Amino acid sequence: MAVDTLPPVIRLRGLQKRFGIGDAENLAINGINLTINRGEFVAVMGPSGCGKTTLLNILGLLDRSVDGEYELDGQPVSEISKRKQARIRSQQIGFVFQSFNLVSRLNVIENVALPLIYKGITRTKRLQIASDILRNFHLNEREYYMPCQLSGGQTQRVAIARALVNEPSIILADEPTGNLDSRSSHIIMEELSDLHKRGNTIIMVTHNPRLTTYASRVITMLDGQIDTDTRNITKQPVTRHRKKSARKLKRGKK
Amino acid sequence: MRFLFLNHVQNAFQSLRSSRVRSALTMLGVTIGVASVTAILALSGGASKIISDQISSLSGNIAVIRPGIATDPIISITQPKLNHYYATSTLTEADILYIKNTPHISEVAPLMVLSGSIKASSVAPSESTVVATTPGLANISNLKLREGQFLDKDLKQDAVVIGTQLSINIFGTESSIGRILTIRGQTFTVVGILKRSNNPINYNSIDFDNVAIINFTEGKKLNQNVAQIQQIDIKADSIANLNPAIANISKTILKSHNGEKDFSVLTGDQISQSTSQLFYMIAGVTTAIAAISLLVGGIGIMNIMLVTVAERTREIGIRKALGASNSDISWQFLIESLAISISGGIAGYICGYLIAFIISRSFLTFDPIINWQISIVALIISIFMGTLFGLYPAFRASRKDPIESLYQYS
Ligand SMILES: Nc1ncnc2c1ncn2[C@@H]1O[C@H](COP(=O)(O)OP(=O)(O)OP(=O)(O)O)[C@@H](O)[C@H]1O
Ligand SMILES: [Mg+2]
Repeated sequence: MAVDTLPPVIRLRGLQKRFGIGDAENLAINGINLTINRGEFVAVMGPSGCGKTTLLNILGLLDRSVDGEYELDGQPVSEISKRKQARIRSQQIGFVFQSFNLVSRLNVIENVALPLIYKGITRTKRLQIASDILRNFHLNEREYYMPCQLSGGQTQRVAIARALVNEPSIILADEPTGNLDSRSSHIIMEELSDLHKRGNTIIMVTHNPRLTTYASRVITMLDGQIDTDTRNITKQPVTRHRKKSARKLKRGKK
Repeated sequence: MRFLFLNHVQNAFQSLRSSRVRSALTMLGVTIGVASVTAILALSGGASKIISDQISSLSGNIAVIRPGIATDPIISITQPKLNHYYATSTLTEADILYIKNTPHISEVAPLMVLSGSIKASSVAPSESTVVATTPGLANISNLKLREGQFLDKDLKQDAVVIGTQLSINIFGTESSIGRILTIRGQTFTVVGILKRSNNPINYNSIDFDNVAIINFTEGKKLNQNVAQIQQIDIKADSIANLNPAIANISKTILKSHNGEKDFSVLTGDQISQSTSQLFYMIAGVTTAIAAISLLVGGIGIMNIMLVTVAERTREIGIRKALGASNSDISWQFLIESLAISISGGIAGYICGYLIAFIISRSFLTFDPIINWQISIVALIISIFMGTLFGLYPAFRASRKDPIESLYQYS
C-alpha cells in the first residue's frame, strides 16, 4: 500500500501540554498517542475545554513547549529549526482558527492573500489567487470589505478561504462551521471533502455529530486524552503500520 | 524574497497612511534634524566653494598663516571659533620678518583686526572693521580700487583705504577721497576707496565693503604698540615654489617659537575651511538643533514602533501561524520604521534647502551648494535613524510567541 511506505503525516507519542506552574498547573493534553496517515480526514470531537484547540495548535507547530514526541512526516518536530517550521507552516499547513483571526486592518482579499506573501508570490498573482478562491466561497462581492463589516458566517468563510489559499497538504480546522447554517456548512464540508479526495490530510474539530459523516475517522477527546478513536476498532492495521514505521525510523537513524 | 520586500514596503506605506497624523508627528523629528543638517552642509558648501573659487582665481600661489593649530573641517563647524578676535596671537612681528626674508616669497601682508569705532560725519555701524596691514595685501588679495590708490610706503602714515559701503555709511557718498575720519580718536585721511566686492565671506575673514585699511605701524600704535596679528597672507613668486617656501617658513617659525607648534600654515582648500563668524554661529546653532532633533526624532520612532508592535500583537501571531518566519516579521517592522525615517528625511532635505535659500537670500551673499553628496548624507542619516531606532521594536515583534499573541485579547 502506497500510504504505508510513507511515514505517517503526524505521529504523537505521550504528548503532554502543561499550562501554568505549581498549584495552578493543569494538563490540557495529558498523554496522547496518535498516528494520522496521509489522506485521512479526521474529525475531533469532545466537550468544551477538553484540549482540542490546544492539540491543533501543537499539530500546527504554533506551540512548541510540549512534552512527548511529535513527528511530522517522520521527522521529530523538536529537531526542526524555527525557520524551517515557519516554512512548513507556510507551504504545508492551512489553519482555520476557532476565533477566525482575520487581520482587522486588512480587507478581505488581502487577508486571504496573506499566506501567499510568505510563499514569495507577486502581488497581482496573490490577489488573483485570492479572488479565485473567494469566488468558490461566494464571497467575491465582499473582496474589499473590512473584516468588521462581515457577518459571523462570512468571516468564517473568509478564514477558511485563507487557510486553503496556499493549497496546504495538511488542513487544521477548528470548528470551521461553528457559525454557519446547515446549508453553508455543507458547502464548506463539500469543499473539505473535495480536498480530502485529492489526497490532503484534514483534521477538523467539530461539535456537530452530523458533520462527522464526511470524515474517514472520528476521534473523541476527554480531559486531554483520547477517549475513542474509530480507527482503533480495527486495531490490526494500526499496529502493523506502527511496527513498519518503527523499523523505518531505525533505518533512517543509521 | 524580492516580492516579500516589495510587500513589506507596500504594507509599511499602507500602515503609515492609515494613521497619518501619528506618522507625520513621528517624522517631524527626523525632518527637522535632516533639514538642519542639509542647511548646514548646503551653506558651508556654498561658503567654502566661494572661497576656494577665490583661491583658485588668485592663481594658487597663496598661503595663509594663522595662530593656533588648524582644526579639521568637522570640528571647525561644530566648535565656532568665537574667541578668534580676543585671544592673544602667537604670531609676532619677528615672524613677518623671517617670512619676508624667505626665498621665493614675493609678498607678505600681516592682518591685524582692531576694535574701535570709525567716525566721520556719522559713526560707522558695528559690522565695520579696522584692519592694519601692509601695502602687499592689495596684490595678494587682488583688491581693486574704485578711486584713489592703496596704501603705499611713499604716502603719509595716516592714510586710510575704505570700502564703498563704509564710505556711504560715514560720509554719505561713495567718493570721499581726501576726507578725514577718526579711528579711536586718531585722524586718518582717505586715500582710496575699494571697489564693491559684495563678498563678506573670504579667506581674510574681512568684509572689504565695510573696512578701513590702515598701515600696520599705525595699527600697532592704536593697540598700545602691540602687534596682534590674526593672519599673515603670503604669496610666492610661482606655484611651484610655494610648497618649498612654506616648508622653509614653517621650519624657521617653529624654531623661533622654541619648537612650539602654535601656528598653522594653510594652502589651497585648507584656507577655505575657516569662514565668517556669522556662518560659524549659524552652523553651531543648527548642528545643535540637528543633533537634538535627531535624537528626539529617533526616540519618537522607537516609541511609535513599540506602540505599533503592541497594537499588532495579534496580527503578528496570525502572520506567524500563516507561515511568516521571525525574520519576515522583523523585516516588516524594520521597513516600517525605515519608511517613517526616510519619508521624514526626504521632507527634511527639501525643507533644509528651503531654509538654506531663505538664510542665504536674507543674510548672506552666496547661494547654498547643491550636490549629490548632501542628498546622500541626508539619506544615510535617515536610514541610520530608521535602523537604529527601529531595530529593537522589530526584534521585539519577531520574538513574540505565536500562541500568546493569537490569544492575547480573544
Ligand atoms: N494559555 C492558557 N493558559 C492556561 N490554560 C489554558 C491556556 N489555553 C488553554 N488552557 C486550558 O487548556 C484546556 C483546553 O483548552 P482548549 O482551548 O484546547 O479547549 P477546547 O477543547 O478547544 O474547548 P472548546 O471546545 O471550548 O474550544 C482548558 O481547560 C483551558 O483552560
Ligand atoms: Mg477550542
